[in-house]
Amino acid sequence: MGPSAPRRSAERRFGRIITVLAAVAALATAAGTGPGAAHEPDNRLPASVTMDFVPPPPGSYALHAIMRAPDGPVLDRDGRRLPLSRFTAGKITLLGFIYTSCADPRGCPLTSQVFYTVRHRVAEDPELRERVRLVSLSFDPARDTPAAMRHYAASMPRNGVEWAFLTTELPRTLVPLLDGFGQDVRVELDARGRPAGPLAHVLKVFLIDERAIVREIYTTSYLFTEVILNDIKTLRLEGTPARRAAP
Amino acid sequence: MRAIRVRGTFLGGILGVLALALAAASPAGADETCNSPYMGNLIKGQEDYLYVWALGVKSMGDGGDKLVTIDVNPASSRYGKVIHKVSVRGRGEAHHMGFTDDRRFLWAGGLDNSRISIFDVGTDPARPKLVQTIADMPAKTGYVGPHTFYAMPGRMLVQGLSNAKDGGGVTGMALYSNKGELIATYPMPATGGGDGYGYDIAINPQKNVLLTSSFTGRKNYMRNLGELVKDADAMKRFGNTMAVWDLKAMKPKKVLSVPGAPLEIRWSLKDGDTWAITATALTSKLWLIKPDASGEWQAKEVAVIDDPTKIPLPVDISINKDGTGLWVNTFMDGKTRYFDLSNPEQPRQTYERVTGKQVNMISQSWDGTRVYIASSLLANWDKAGADDEQFVRGFRWDGKELKPAFEVDFYKEKLGRAHHMKLGSKAMKSAYGPERTATLR
Repeated sequence: MGPSAPRRSAERRFGRIITVLAAVAALATAAGTGPGAAHEPDNRLPASVTMDFVPPPPGSYALHAIMRAPDGPVLDRDGRRLPLSRFTAGKITLLGFIYTSCADPRGCPLTSQVFYTVRHRVAEDPELRERVRLVSLSFDPARDTPAAMRHYAASMPRNGVEWAFLTTELPRTLVPLLDGFGQDVRVELDARGRPAGPLAHVLKVFLIDERAIVREIYTTSYLFTEVILNDIKTLRLEGTPARRAAP
Repeated sequence: MRAIRVRGTFLGGILGVLALALAAASPAGADETCNSPYMGNLIKGQEDYLYVWALGVKSMGDGGDKLVTIDVNPASSRYGKVIHKVSVRGRGEAHHMGFTDDRRFLWAGGLDNSRISIFDVGTDPARPKLVQTIADMPAKTGYVGPHTFYAMPGRMLVQGLSNAKDGGGVTGMALYSNKGELIATYPMPATGGGDGYGYDIAINPQKNVLLTSSFTGRKNYMRNLGELVKDADAMKRFGNTMAVWDLKAMKPKKVLSVPGAPLEIRWSLKDGDTWAITATALTSKLWLIKPDASGEWQAKEVAVIDDPTKIPLPVDISINKDGTGLWVNTFMDGKTRYFDLSNPEQPRQTYERVTGKQVNMISQSWDGTRVYIASSLLANWDKAGADDEQFVRGFRWDGKELKPAFEVDFYKEKLGRAHHMKLGSKAMKSAYGPERTATLR
């Protein structure tokens, strides 16, 4: 199964963008201006994990209700204080935690790459275009201010599909969201047990239905665009009148 | 669903040998090279702790099942010593454990009482804390005997061994959120050649494949082994199959005939490899599971372990990080064996050593230089008298020889029977510590 021409085009465009972002993040880290954010090294997987199967078609499988998406105050890129539920209900939502200085190709840049491709494919589908949103939420509130998120978002050209870039004011407003989603963030220690540099986390992306219920969670080893799109379409099929009327 | 016909009562032929043995067994577990692919926080350097899920023994200490923490960092002054234990009060046939995908919590099951104990190992890895108990698995799922705990993103997939209705081997998997809430259940395939039995779980995300194996029900695994092996009808009720599942859809696609209770399943972690291996306890063989030239999944017998007519009872297996070697413990003769997997179609045993009078679980560090062995199989299947050693032993492996490094005598320490082991590290701790601690569970 090869990628379609529009998909290849989108991936090429994004490839250039993500290269710039990764380079900026790497420079920031090297210069000591960022948190040195890095993901747990994991040599089991290449930077780009290949999908060696044909995913089951939309609607042929169930996406179970895993948990309710947590709610709490967040800041949008303009610094407005809003409830996260504003960004997790009413549309099918793909939410991932990032931090803008992350340079690990298997971490946040991979999330953004997949988001970019998914958004491009969603924009091409009139059934989905108005019904899907993407959310990138920072777990580094100290450095990822609304201005930093706005700067990060500026590199992603708009295409009509909502993509929110959010952060929080303080760790104490962030942590309930992390725990609500079950998203870990750890800090490495030196030999004396003192915090020493990089943050680390398991990459997770959450698929949330229109009622703010988490229906799927993806990680590095299962972050496949085609699977995500089929899952989005599966949720969309649940919401169609014909599907609702079916026994 | 595609199916392959399952062979019939092969167990009849080995019944006599088992009856003579009168002390034997089967099941087993996992380690740093055998974790779920969804676990991102692997310990690739020196581990600090060994968590041991131990079966309580009446009148020994508090008599309860407990999670024991051993310091296994050679640089520590407490190396090889028990540094912590937390009892769950009561005996429920403590068996296997599994970390959540973020390695913050360790789920541990009881095969008899079907309780799932959840320990926080993230807040203070040296001092695990019991934070939650799931006691209603039988009532909510109909399955009993939670065996394998397999991390999925934000969830835990739990393989049952039996069912609440008749205690037989027909069972299923239960999917829980990491917060311990039941999400879904999946019955094991009982048609198209399937026997409905379950044991282990192993996932290959890139292939969208979940593999399962099969053992036996509660009526068998809780029975005295000496009596069990004399019961020809009971001995027919062991699993003879593996199942290939569509992981995304969580639907069985094909049943593979793998006679003799296929237990632990290990995928090769080497990039580009698409095969898994298992050992059959009762027929003493290694089986390879891989797609054929047309992409169809097949199971193939590739090696025998010792002399199957002697029923050495291979139990736990542990594959190394690059899929070139496999440890196999055989319970009856207390041997730890190394198989060269350079050609997985033709595994060759290249080393063996008696590591105890009875041995079951085996775990290795990521680099393979440290190997840990535990003794207990099941309370009613362990050997008796002087042969009932209960220990955890640490070894160094230089590629040629297993050299003893430390030992903890679980009876002397009044800890019970040592079963499953998982590794821990103090190298990481939660960011936003004070804020996070306040909101944990």
